[in-house]
Amino acid sequence: MKLENVAVLGVGQVRFGVHRTKSAIDLAREAGQLALTDAGIDLREVREAFVGYIQPAAMLGIKAMKEFGLTGLPVTHVENASATGLVAFREAAHAVASGRAPVALALGFDKMSEMARGGQGGRGIGRDSIDSVILPAAYFALWAMRRMHERGTKPEHFAKIAAKNWNHGALCPVADRQADHHVTPDEVLASAKIAEPLTAMMACPADDGAACAILARPEIVRRLRPGRPLVRVLASALQTETYTPGHTFVGPVVGPATMSRDTANEAYRDAGLGPDDVDLALCHDAFANEELEYYELLGFCAEGEAEKLVEEGQTALGGRIPFNTDGGLIARGHPGGPTGLAQIHELVVQLRGEAGRRQVEDARVGLAHLVGGGSVCTVSLLARDA
Amino acid sequence: MAEPTRRRVPIEPGFFTIPDDAGAPPRLLGSRCRACGEHFFPRRVVCARCLAEACDDVELGPHGTLWTYTWVHVPFFGQKRAAGAGYAVGQVDLPEGPRIQTVLSGAEGEFRIGMPMTLELETLRETPEGEQVVIHRFRPDRAGARA
Repeated sequence: MKLENVAVLGVGQVRFGVHRTKSAIDLAREAGQLALTDAGIDLREVREAFVGYIQPAAMLGIKAMKEFGLTGLPVTHVENASATGLVAFREAAHAVASGRAPVALALGFDKMSEMARGGQGGRGIGRDSIDSVILPAAYFALWAMRRMHERGTKPEHFAKIAAKNWNHGALCPVADRQADHHVTPDEVLASAKIAEPLTAMMACPADDGAACAILARPEIVRRLRPGRPLVRVLASALQTETYTPGHTFVGPVVGPATMSRDTANEAYRDAGLGPDDVDLALCHDAFANEELEYYELLGFCAEGEAEKLVEEGQTALGGRIPFNTDGGLIARGHPGGPTGLAQIHELVVQLRGEAGRRQVEDARVGLAHLVGGGSVCTVSLLARDA
Repeated sequence: MAEPTRRRVPIEPGFFTIPDDAGAPPRLLGSRCRACGEHFFPRRVVCARCLAEACDDVELGPHGTLWTYTWVHVPFFGQKRAAGAGYAVGQVDLPEGPRIQTVLSGAEGEFRIGMPMTLELETLRETPEGEQVVIHRFRPDRAGARA
């Protein structure tokens, strides 16, 4: 459905990285307080909250919300693997659009570094099961090898995308990876091999972090933040897979990739927009080859033309359609639960025109896309009022 | 066979057969929808395609075609180091329809998309009772290796 009367009141993000001295709750409180400050409200104004994380722990969302005070507000846990934060955002947007809550908050947090150290791949993945033996890196490498077979794509294409995201991350204060030098595709190709053809620098890190977005009816945003560009949420679509032959039911599953095309088309239809209207996009680049696929699946070029887009540098800052302007999962980082809300943070900063050295000129419409294991895809479209 | 084979147990029940003859290939435990004919792995009750509650148990494989693969240099979940030089993972299309994602057996450089593959069982470890814990995997279909 097209979302009417939903605008962004505030956003906040803790810099992603390994936070050894802070708990997940500490990170959640910091991100939430940043968003409340950005919004100019306290918890009394928030009428509903959606909290997302993927670490295996019950009740943590309600505990995290108590850090801001105890006001009796409804709190709902949201979990959809890597897509968790963007799905919490979707719930908050629909809560405002439906009239149920004039102000709603979406909060995501996780400490993926601890989950990675513990040898656990997240909720539900143990060593002694059929599902446990194949790593996400291997799964996405299977996409890459098939793409290379069908389209003649080279590892250099993936390396160029990764280098771009590393260099975007260096311009983003809340990105985990802020390289002290210009990263080249050769450097990416020379990094440790993970799963053919992917290398370590083509993969996202296992981060800790938190991010928060507060949504409200536009008149509330105008009253509390007069003079600030009004950023609306136009659409937020969520799909799981439609059965097609070739669906793999066992192992890490995030495809087939066409799920992204279907979900993006739903979001475009709801918003009354097309890919040509979008000024910047953030996608699930847990591995660089995914981003190449999404250029086509999100409609930014025809099938088979993604390699050309990379070669021409059209998805870098200054190009036709900049992708992952904050570094994406590869450089901004990927803690799990908060990842989608970090995407919203970046879109809002860009659409307000506050992105400094990485500002996309006259950015008016932004797209956020995530997939999650299981398999699920979500796409949101945000736009600044002209 | 010179010495008797140890008893083999699956890593998880319900996914593949364990033939009494250790030289015979295993089969995958799948389903076929009586209403629309679609095949699935693993077993299910309701057809994912036509939604009929009409799935019959069938055995699938052991032969297929390699759809895609990768050579993995990092360890399995829960392990600190990759065993040896790494291992292959792939997706194999069965003639009945399902695409199976598994670990592959074989050497780096041995795999080609489109090559014929055969199912086998790999021993992961032994239990304290001396049973071999096995999982299914595909290997390149070498000439003369067919059961």
